[in-house]
Amino acid sequence: MHIPDGFIPITQSAVYWVIALLFIALSLRWARRELSEEKVPIVAVLAAAIFAMQAFNLPVGMGTSGHLVGGALAAIVLGSPFAAVFILTIVLIIQGVIFGDGGITTMGANIINMGVIGGFVGFYGYVGIKSIIKTPFVSAGIAAWFACFIPALAASVELWIAGTFPLVPGLIAMGTYHAAIGVIEAFITAVAVYLIWHARPDLDWSEKKTLEPGKVAAA
Amino acid sequence: MIEELFLIEKHTYRDSCIHRLDARVKIIIAFAAIVAIVSVPYSTIIYTVGSVFFLFFMILWALSRLSPKIYFWRLAMVLPFGIFIIIFQIFFENRYYEVFHPIVSLPFNIHIYAESVEFASILLVKFLVCISFIILLSSTTRMQNLLEGAGRLGLPPEFALVLGMMVRYLFVFAYMFRKVNESLQTRCFDPFNRDVAWKYRIRMLGYTIGTMFIRAYEQGERTYMAMLCRGYGRDSHLFIRKKPLLRQDWAFLVTGMTVIVAVPVLTWVLYAS
Repeated sequence: MHIPDGFIPITQSAVYWVIALLFIALSLRWARRELSEEKVPIVAVLAAAIFAMQAFNLPVGMGTSGHLVGGALAAIVLGSPFAAVFILTIVLIIQGVIFGDGGITTMGANIINMGVIGGFVGFYGYVGIKSIIKTPFVSAGIAAWFACFIPALAASVELWIAGTFPLVPGLIAMGTYHAAIGVIEAFITAVAVYLIWHARPDLDWSEKKTLEPGKVAAA
Repeated sequence: MIEELFLIEKHTYRDSCIHRLDARVKIIIAFAAIVAIVSVPYSTIIYTVGSVFFLFFMILWALSRLSPKIYFWRLAMVLPFGIFIIIFQIFFENRYYEVFHPIVSLPFNIHIYAESVEFASILLVKFLVCISFIILLSSTTRMQNLLEGAGRLGLPPEFALVLGMMVRYLFVFAYMFRKVNESLQTRCFDPFNRDVAWKYRIRMLGYTIGTMFIRAYEQGERTYMAMLCRGYGRDSHLFIRKKPLLRQDWAFLVTGMTVIVAVPVLTWVLYAS
């Protein structure tokens, strides 16, 4: 899903960067407001976990690469889609600058696909599905599948707009791979969310909690 | 990729004039080269610009005194994620050419076009030059120096803090993965063993993923608590000392930027005339 340098013309890359920077600025505002002392380790661990998840990637014949995304996991665990933008930006910087996986000029497009689309689809998909089926872990899994599948389609559309790959073969290749990979992503997200919230209920920031007067927070 | 992180970092601890350069200078030169090569239109002009840029990269790599084997090893790691899309180009028409001439006709009405082969080679040149400069940057600059360099160039402190911690936790994660994996092996658990019920295998894998995550988190939390005990606070950020560029840094920056700007402009002027 990482689009390398050279596959998107510089003018289009600049447009994607401007859009990505807007979301990065909003994610920084989220970080300044929400990144409390107890959240810093989980943000860093989530970033490391997502990096490790994305490390298991396969080349896609008529696309770029197929791998897990992790945007839904970050957004659901931290209770905000901007958390996914923040974390995925960090992961993509390390991947692009250290490993050359993804690109520098195309980083804006990659942040939009995995951070913005992945995070927003993952978070609002989770909220919407949970309101219907009422099971948070299954909802997290289903939302994670969409958050893996839709960014892959977005990457194909961007390559088509760039004129570097035809739309239909790109959509078929990237869509098929990520529909399958999305099942693994759904499983990992559901399990991770289930275990985190069961082992450490104090780490559940998915819903805003208000303290009742006279009660002391357990954490 | 995690194991490769150790190896990449190992190369940055060598000594050469490129290794000694300020991280800011290397970041600017690498990014400028990438932006310049990507800015060149999809035309045959890229062969000249790409050749000169690649020559520039080879001189820098030779000055870094790193073995060509390291470059080829790193290139082989990244190449699969771009090369397939380049290879498949030859079968498709694209918007950058008006007429397409088939050079090979295959069954099922599949053709290889001369123009598409040319376009694929243009993409390959761009891809190779960009990757080469990233390999040079990350093979000659320690991660901590990159982080400080990025901080001095204006990376927001929130990103610098989490980036620094993430890199440390990455190693914690790899260590936890190894420990959990070893414990599974001692119990002869094989997730691909079909003699074991799939529900059991899935449950065990689920516990493994969750345990790895929770353990890595708790290790990270302990580290963070230790940092807090040493006076670290919410508003503390990575301390970055002010560091002026040395004369050799300026010399390299000016020379590098001159090459990066002049080569595409001069090539374009030559082609236009």
